[in-house]
Amino acid sequence: MSAEVAAEIPKGNGWEPNILAFCCNWCSYAGADLAGVSRFQYPPTVRILRVMCSSRVEPAFILKALKDGADGVLVAGCHIGDCHYIDGNKNAEIRINNTKKALAKLGLDGRLRLEWISASEGLRFSEVIRDFTEEIKKLGENPVKEVKK
Amino acid sequence: MLNSKAQSCYQCGKCTSICPMRRVSKTSPRNSIYNSNIYGLETKDIWTCLTCGLCPQECPQQVDFLSFIKQEREGKTPLDIAHLGVFTELAELSSRLNGNTKMEKTDSKYGFFPGCVDSLSLFLHDVKTDFGEITTSSLKLLDKIGIKPRMVQMKCCGHDMLWQGKKDVFDRLKNDNTKYLKESGIDTLITSCAECYRTLSKDYDLGIKVVHISELMDKLGLKINSEVTYHDPCRLGRHMGVYDAPRRALTANGAKLKEMEHSKENALCCGVSSFMNCNEQTKALRIARMDEAAATGAKTLITTCSKCLAHFNCLKNEKDTAKKYDLDVVDLTVFLARQLEAGK
Ligand code: FES
Repeated sequence: MSAEVAAEIPKGNGWEPNILAFCCNWCSYAGADLAGVSRFQYPPTVRILRVMCSSRVEPAFILKALKDGADGVLVAGCHIGDCHYIDGNKNAEIRINNTKKALAKLGLDGRLRLEWISASEGLRFSEVIRDFTEEIKKLGENPVKEVKK
Repeated sequence: MLNSKAQSCYQCGKCTSICPMRRVSKTSPRNSIYNSNIYGLETKDIWTCLTCGLCPQECPQQVDFLSFIKQEREGKTPLDIAHLGVFTELAELSSRLNGNTKMEKTDSKYGFFPGCVDSLSLFLHDVKTDFGEITTSSLKLLDKIGIKPRMVQMKCCGHDMLWQGKKDVFDRLKNDNTKYLKESGIDTLITSCAECYRTLSKDYDLGIKVVHISELMDKLGLKINSEVTYHDPCRLGRHMGVYDAPRRALTANGAKLKEMEHSKENALCCGVSSFMNCNEQTKALRIARMDEAAATGAKTLITTCSKCLAHFNCLKNEKDTAKKYDLDVVDLTVFLARQLEAGK
């Protein structure tokens, strides 16, 4: 699923970061919703993908999104202890940290982020997006090369 | 397509009768030649093949079945990649990056390439095996025999990409790595992984000597006093013909080697290759191999391929494996290095 979404992200000349965000259904997605209804502003650099739990996000999804040109990947879930599936987010933490290590070896550090955002933290959601966008802007465009098929 | 000599197959079926996959499924090497692209047909059997290299040994027409499978798979979508393709994605991603290629600056003529053990430990953390120990052990052992190699930080060798039919990805990796190695100025590349060894010596054109670490380990002078058994990885054994070096590495250092029922040319496969087809059928093959190992009575099963190591340890740790194997599965270098430490 991530690939299709990432592939749709346009790459123009006036470059703006393209961030893919995986938000868990029970907290972070609701947090994003709250940011919307409360009209907290955040840059339009992010495409949100709803997953049932942050632990649904496989490292393969993240790698694929980056391979297909996403500039950053955000994984957002419930705070530790609040996961709807009890300890899904603890597993997600291990996985994402391992993926970060793998990405660091490829020279892609800083492009993956894991955040805990609860359903009541609309403001925090917008802050996280703003902050991450700034960081990606500093890092610049994803260095992945296009290949001819 | 000609160099695999698949057209000279006269459908005798000797290959199918020895095929390990045939014991557990309907896969048939004979059928995959019969229904191949050469004759404008297609079959799924090319994806269930383990490329273990048993059948070409039997073939009266000397068909190179491995090259045949490689050609047939090229450009097609693999049927079933294990671990959701995370290693495939990683290799594809790195093939499209410039990569941070820095080489240590020493004038050693030896290079050491650890392969993908680091990403194995990152993404297979539930197998509960310290793959990184293979690298540290190898360096310790090389140090003992007086070799101080430079760490080669190239990209994945592309073995899995090649066998998963992603020739374009493999070619990109190969180009980058070849350039990197030629610029580095090393003349001998040591690797601790059987797959890297096969790929770098057979599928690359390096002009650099590639050695597997087991070929250097017979002069360690250890006094090991335990019984071990050795599993021949297909990539080191049948693909490269290295059967004696790892055995010598064990026996010359005092270990008592107990051979399994099937060994050397006839060794059974660990069951999975190139991260494809991890399922009930291949699990049966793994169990068969572990049973053979257990039957020798040795308490340590040694192998020289990090993938075999992962597969066996995965089976051992599985909750629902009814039988409990009282076996330690370790890499050759890890085993030797532990003995070295213990002997100090
Ligand atoms: S349900 Fe939100 S992290 Fe698991």
